Amino acid sequence: MNVNLTIDGVPVSVPKGTWLVEAAKTVQQEIPVYCYHTKLGPAGLCRVCLVDIEGMPKLQIACNTPAAEGMVVRTRGARVEAGRAMILELLLVNHPLDCPICDKGGECDLQDYAMAYARGNSDVVDPKTRKPKAVDLGPTIVLDEERCVVCQRCVRFDDIIADERQLVVKDRGAHDIIATATGSPYRHNFTGNVTELCPVGALTSKTYRFKSRPWDLNRTQTTCTQCAVGCQQFADVRYGTLLRTMSVENDDAISDGWLCDRGRYNIGFYASPDRLTQPLYRKGGSFVQIGWDDAFALWGKAITDAIAAKGTPSVGAIGGGRLTNEEAYVLQYLFRKIGVANLDWRSGRQRQATPGANGGALTDIELAQAIVIAGESIEERAPVLWLRVRKAALRGGATVVHAATPAEAVAALPAGATRVALVWDGIDLARGRAFADAFAGVAELSTYVASEQGNARGAEAMGMLPWSGPGYAAARARGRDAAGMFEDARNGSLAVLSMFGVNPVRNAADGAAVAQALVKVPFVVVSELFLTETADRATLVLPAKGAFEKTGTTLNLAGDLLPVNAAVQAPDGVLSDLEMLLGLAAQLDVDLPRAEELDATVIEHMAHAPEDFGFGDSRFASDVASVPEDVPPATILSGGGTWRHDPTLATLQVETPSSQPVGATA
Amino acid sequence: MPVTKVLTAGIGEADLRNIDVYRERGGYRQWERAVRELKPGDVLDLAEKSGLRGRGGAGFPTGKKWSFLPAEKPLRYLVCNCDEAEPGTFKDHMLIAEAPHLVLEGILLGSYGIECHHAFIYIRGEFKRGYEIFSAALDEARKAGFVGDDLFGSGFNLEVTVQRGAGAYICGEETGLLNSLEGKRGEPRLKPPFPAIEGLYGMPTVVNNVETLAYLVPILEKGAEWFASVGTERSKGYKIVSVSGHVQRPGNYEVALGTTVREIIDIAGGLRPGRNLMAVQPGGGSSACIFEEQLDLPYDYENMAKAGSMLGSGAFVVFDDSTDFVKAAHNLVRFFAHESCGQCTPCREGGHWLERVLERLVHGRGVSGDYEMLLRVSGGITGLNLCALGDSIEPFLKSVLLRFPEQFRARVLKAKETVPV
Repeated sequence: MNVNLTIDGVPVSVPKGTWLVEAAKTVQQEIPVYCYHTKLGPAGLCRVCLVDIEGMPKLQIACNTPAAEGMVVRTRGARVEAGRAMILELLLVNHPLDCPICDKGGECDLQDYAMAYARGNSDVVDPKTRKPKAVDLGPTIVLDEERCVVCQRCVRFDDIIADERQLVVKDRGAHDIIATATGSPYRHNFTGNVTELCPVGALTSKTYRFKSRPWDLNRTQTTCTQCAVGCQQFADVRYGTLLRTMSVENDDAISDGWLCDRGRYNIGFYASPDRLTQPLYRKGGSFVQIGWDDAFALWGKAITDAIAAKGTPSVGAIGGGRLTNEEAYVLQYLFRKIGVANLDWRSGRQRQATPGANGGALTDIELAQAIVIAGESIEERAPVLWLRVRKAALRGGATVVHAATPAEAVAALPAGATRVALVWDGIDLARGRAFADAFAGVAELSTYVASEQGNARGAEAMGMLPWSGPGYAAARARGRDAAGMFEDARNGSLAVLSMFGVNPVRNAADGAAVAQALVKVPFVVVSELFLTETADRATLVLPAKGAFEKTGTTLNLAGDLLPVNAAVQAPDGVLSDLEMLLGLAAQLDVDLPRAEELDATVIEHMAHAPEDFGFGDSRFASDVASVPEDVPPATILSGGGTWRHDPTLATLQVETPSSQPVGATA
Repeated sequence: MPVTKVLTAGIGEADLRNIDVYRERGGYRQWERAVRELKPGDVLDLAEKSGLRGRGGAGFPTGKKWSFLPAEKPLRYLVCNCDEAEPGTFKDHMLIAEAPHLVLEGILLGSYGIECHHAFIYIRGEFKRGYEIFSAALDEARKAGFVGDDLFGSGFNLEVTVQRGAGAYICGEETGLLNSLEGKRGEPRLKPPFPAIEGLYGMPTVVNNVETLAYLVPILEKGAEWFASVGTERSKGYKIVSVSGHVQRPGNYEVALGTTVREIIDIAGGLRPGRNLMAVQPGGGSSACIFEEQLDLPYDYENMAKAGSMLGSGAFVVFDDSTDFVKAAHNLVRFFAHESCGQCTPCREGGHWLERVLERLVHGRGVSGDYEMLLRVSGGITGLNLCALGDSIEPFLKSVLLRFPEQFRARVLKAKETVPV
């Protein structure tokens, strides 16, 4: 039901109960706020959002006053301006006014509102209160208590969004400070968000402190590819260096406006001096640097020779989960064109990334009455998805079930639950199938596979599976899957193996066996950013661009097609996987599809998950009968694959409760 | 008009802490009668008809407050506010320490009136003695069958929980009290929702002052008409006035509302010989001063409001001509700044700023502009705060700034003379 009111003389119609601060946005009236935040709701602390409402003796705060029928609201006028000016004057009484050395300068709400609404002078003659400065709040954040305006956005985020309750206000009155309740370091998977919520320069990221001014930054909106959630983010680049990533506040459908610390802080490796910048070719026992022309020639000749000598089954390619859709498509296109069917993206333990017919949108999780986690903790595999699960639990009252068996999960469901979300890690097909079968009778079931590789679902849709081509169409010839290719390698029947953005030596169920198998392959090509364990065993290593350096699309775990945009220029000599495939195609005399044949509509069409399979479909089963078990799981923050090359992240590893299994890299 | 002893009857004469003594004097008879003979609605009617208004400070009609409870929510709480911390107020501590059974009977009647089955009393941390006495009284009453399940065989259950605070003024603010009672940081909540809708543990809650609830006992005994016959048009009944400051016999005096300010001063023994009256703060630290020309005003809610002040909690502080009003103002502003929870900007920053300026003035280090700043900022923060604490800073300060400007300006002049150029 809508109510009609006027704001600054403009008639407004908004749903009943809308806060005035939101209603004013519909008529483009700015009401300054510090403590209020769309995602956190009103707190009524800063008192700066004052408005004049006809018939009310006092100024009211717009953040906690619901719009009512016939209300006449003024956001301007002498009374409002005097009130606002008083609040801003008070906020500046003890504020250090150190804008010239403050990271927030230029994008600071205190600075902006003080310029817009405050008096130009001050009556303060007494010294300002002193509070701790440069407080080491935790591995990610430094806090300046003097700059703090005690809006408590950080405290409330920690409470009602992250559900961690680590941050609190300590002390009282003018001496209050922000601190962790126990005094221990502030650490969890989402800490970086408080630096963005902070309206002033109190909470700053260690990775960005004293690095830049906002007006020096070039901003590009792109998709985070470090896990399969696909959060939208801004990449801020200064003079060619990626300095920070920021959340996109209105990204309600995907990230809900938040980023995890992995997505936010695991970016330093782009500027790492350890990055590969030239193709490496193994001659004798060691690598020599070669040019790209030579690299393409050697690669093309190896494939041509292998096919001539031992046929197409002796050639294989693995990758796709860390490529763009376009690259994954071209990868399978090129190899299938020359008759190679050994194609797979599944370099790790995960077997399946597409949920099938019941795949839901991320926002469906909020509507679920119960969320069942079948498999490894999604807090590690898809952190921002986990944030939405917490939201469903905290605000929607949903039950979150971590159950070992489907029977236990069913038993834990609230009575009469008709809306259930089922999240699976895609690793154990039988387990996935058992859970899906157990919940098949639920009226509104939405299923998700929390993949580790950002574009795992895209790789499947683009046809990087041994049995299916683009759009999940059955492949003309069935090839071997990754595990099968490694088995062939051990048998000596695989001649050329090309790998793109994967590190099976580290991440496959039995990495040591993969390492031994690779030795028996005459020609191994690895496209990577760094000399990984797998690249170190290659014949030819190709230096690749990362996701912030190329343009394309990616498909997240809910099947949303999302843009990847180049934000920063790659180092000289580095090519994207697409450019490498173009080079190889020239050697193999294959015409690749043109760009317009691969535009978003086409990809979107291919991305539709087929109706005929669900969790644990038999087609995803492994070619190899037994895969060694009991591999120790890798640590968190590993989903991006290259985390260990980021020195700033050495301190960022977060302990996880031992009761929950931890995500491993794929 | 003389002192009338209603709640204070027997205090200092008999050991009212002893349940037997209290019962001999008619104690718990109203409670038994209410449960046996009256319906909860009857108690509510009596409260409404008597014209009883909240004695904690705001003066809100008690019956009306109770009537805000949503009928469809049967789980509700009554909380007795004994976090008495308003500067100058010392009546509630006297009541729980000297007449604990009377207070308890009031809580029981109030609970019955709103049909709640669990009442709480939140006692200020410093009132250790009062807490011990009240707790002992509660134990006695429970043993005597006045508190517990199936009271007087009626099927009505009522439990009372005693909780001590930790000595924060802000926990006397009703939502700050509820937060503290729940074990949270003692900070006022954002309103709405008001406690009557969403209070203690999210349930509809009535928060009443000790004195307010205690008056239910004589009202039940003697009738609403008896109470309403005393006082002025909109201020009915009696009030315990805590008189302090420059009077010869400071203390708690129970008077009919409408007794004049001058009479109250006289009841407390008048000023010391040879002294002249400068100001009276009639309603606690949060109230503005009234002055000589207003002494013949009746002491009641509306006349104090008309005079620019308030009756508040009945803390009545008398200032004679020995008073340094700069020091007095500094003392009160320091109190409010110290007790500010720090949640909202005007109270946190404004109170602290005013305190520092006044501190300079006390020490004769004022600078030109200080006087104007005190008026401007104390006035500027008023009306912008999350709760009433921040709005309590201005009244006293402004009233003495305007009445005794020379006392403040003198501190500025002194500075000009003494600070070397």
